[in-house]
Amino acid sequence: MSVKRRPSPIADDGDEIHFCSTCAFSSACQSEGYSKSALEELHVLVEHIGPFREGDHIFREDDEFNAIAAVRGGTVKTYVVDTDGNEQVLGFFLPGEVIGLNAIHHAKYPCNAVALDTVMLCRFSFPKMALLASKMPGLQAQLFRLLSQDIGKAALLAGDYSADQRMAAFLIALSRRYAARGFSATRFHLTMSRTDMANYLRLAPETVSRVLRRFQTEGMIAVERREIELTQKEQLEQLARPVLRN
Amino acid sequence: MGGQYYSAMINPPPFDADLLRRYDRPGPRYTSYPTAPQFSERFKEADLLDVIRRSNEDPIPRPLSIYVHVPFCASPCFYCGCNRIITRDVKRGEKYLEELMREAAMVAPLFESDREVMQLHFGGGTPNFLSPLEIGRFMDFLQRHFHFSTSEKRDISIEIDPRCVKPDDIAALAAMGFNRASLGVQDFDPEVQEAVNRIQSVEETLAVIKACRESGFKSVNVDLIYGLPKQTVAGFGKTLDTVIETRPDRIAVYSYAHMPQLFKPQRQLDETLLPSGETKLSLLQLAIEKLSQAGYCYIGMDHFALPEDELAIAQERGDLHRNFMGYTTHADSDLIGLGVSSISHIGESFSQNPRDLGSWEIAVESGHLPIWRGMQLSEDDVIRADLIQHWMCQGEIDIPKFEERHDIYFHEYFAEDLKKLRALQDDDLVTISPTRLKATSRGRLLLRIIAACFDAYLNPSATILQFSKAI
Repeated sequence: MSVKRRPSPIADDGDEIHFCSTCAFSSACQSEGYSKSALEELHVLVEHIGPFREGDHIFREDDEFNAIAAVRGGTVKTYVVDTDGNEQVLGFFLPGEVIGLNAIHHAKYPCNAVALDTVMLCRFSFPKMALLASKMPGLQAQLFRLLSQDIGKAALLAGDYSADQRMAAFLIALSRRYAARGFSATRFHLTMSRTDMANYLRLAPETVSRVLRRFQTEGMIAVERREIELTQKEQLEQLARPVLRN
Repeated sequence: MGGQYYSAMINPPPFDADLLRRYDRPGPRYTSYPTAPQFSERFKEADLLDVIRRSNEDPIPRPLSIYVHVPFCASPCFYCGCNRIITRDVKRGEKYLEELMREAAMVAPLFESDREVMQLHFGGGTPNFLSPLEIGRFMDFLQRHFHFSTSEKRDISIEIDPRCVKPDDIAALAAMGFNRASLGVQDFDPEVQEAVNRIQSVEETLAVIKACRESGFKSVNVDLIYGLPKQTVAGFGKTLDTVIETRPDRIAVYSYAHMPQLFKPQRQLDETLLPSGETKLSLLQLAIEKLSQAGYCYIGMDHFALPEDELAIAQERGDLHRNFMGYTTHADSDLIGLGVSSISHIGESFSQNPRDLGSWEIAVESGHLPIWRGMQLSEDDVIRADLIQHWMCQGEIDIPKFEERHDIYFHEYFAEDLKKLRALQDDDLVTISPTRLKATSRGRLLLRIIAACFDAYLNPSATILQFSKAI
């Protein structure tokens, strides 16, 4: 018997007829009613790669684009470096989420992607995927869904929001994303550093800590090292509402 | 647990000489887990730098504690097992201070400036080998390089040898921000003092305690030792009465561990004058009885505190911690050790500075962090460290809480360890239920023996050499 209680956020591996539990495409394909064997076509485009270690780059800006990749385990950070040499964090990608979508238009990756911890990926050749999508409406719809989510994500924090609202929105968004993949919605590991979090939220690192400390004092969260528990999720949801709009 | 447990702690642990004799075996004191003998020279400066960088990147980085080791003593006490250098040359203190500042200047910028220092402790050796002026200079330096908390919970403490301090010095320390003092007494019995080469009058000691109070120190601790040469029940009883009369907030009663093979100074001590095992147990019994009658709570290991002291209150809250400085209310901080032989505990790592002055100086002068050895804790180390820490502080483990915290099935994870624990259950030292491990009142004097069941590194043949006996 395992001595561990919670499932590890590293996905279990699929095989030629089973999806990995966090597969970004499985629900779309299954809800369309494709039989397992019909999906073999999808599986052939798939290549499991990794592990990438903390700090390893998955792709760099201007690398030639030929594949998108779904995160199977770990967290990927995407970022660009502005003309002043400052890093700008674009986003964090959790198990089940897809990186490289913003490269589709340019034929080159417009940003860098780096592993924040041990990362396993599922790589899809994009030309082959596009061809298959034209035959599988469900897969096509899922691709469009992913694309629009990716565009929407960046716009979220563009508004004029307080530090508290940004932080709450960040935590609630993480919670929802983990929950959507079957992980705990109230307790998770913050794989990103506070510098990355601050950069992403356009706040100073000290502000990130100050806000989190206040949330903790007010009983909304409990933080120990990088473990976080949302102890009063409803209150955080309320705080996050203007940013997340639902 | 709270209230009920608290009252149990005020009650003296029952004294069972036969039981203590049977369990008087060598074992770690668990000021850390894993214990220092597990540290390795493979852990290097680059590892420490990496650990510090990561500690800055926690969502809420931990506050800081600083330990400063001052190794010098003007004269050798023969019982000493500490890392110290005997000298009367005050110039050595000045030079050491310069090096300390170099080390602090190297270390401080590695920590993000919003990480506040909540605790600062000067230990030794004899910290007051340095003059108040020198200590003041160093305090100023530290305050320029680190961000000190202004909270009233901030602790700045110092170990004081009452033989080389004047009441005016105490006032000077208080003015610098020191608010806790720990005084070495050991025993007032003149015959014992002569045998251990530490002559210290009652008057000068009480004058220092009085000065601490008048200067506004919020807490005074007195250290006593039992098991010293020529110690008698009558003499130690008198010492206890004298100390209790001054109502120190905390009293530590340490067992003298005679290990001349490890601690050179102890070779000067006349072994034939050591009390018998029976007498030693009677001395401990006497201390427990007298302190309990006087209203002191038993905190654990060698430590007693008045019920209104923060340690007793923290224990009641379940918020007590243990680190290299003993029991504390601040262990959720990262600990920076400065000076020769000091140990740091940053993130999930331990690291230790060289134990000899020369190596430490060379490293500091070359502009490198003076690290001698250390270790990065594994996931298993972290789980066991938390269990042992909890056990040493609270004397009980809430199993469902522990499982939630570490994401484990307790009874499966610790299956082998619990087998060892069952032998102690048969001796009525601990009760084991599906949801709770709890020290019985008999087991409270033997917490470290019980904790050792969970020590994955413990190898019976190695412990005899490295660790002192339990009692």
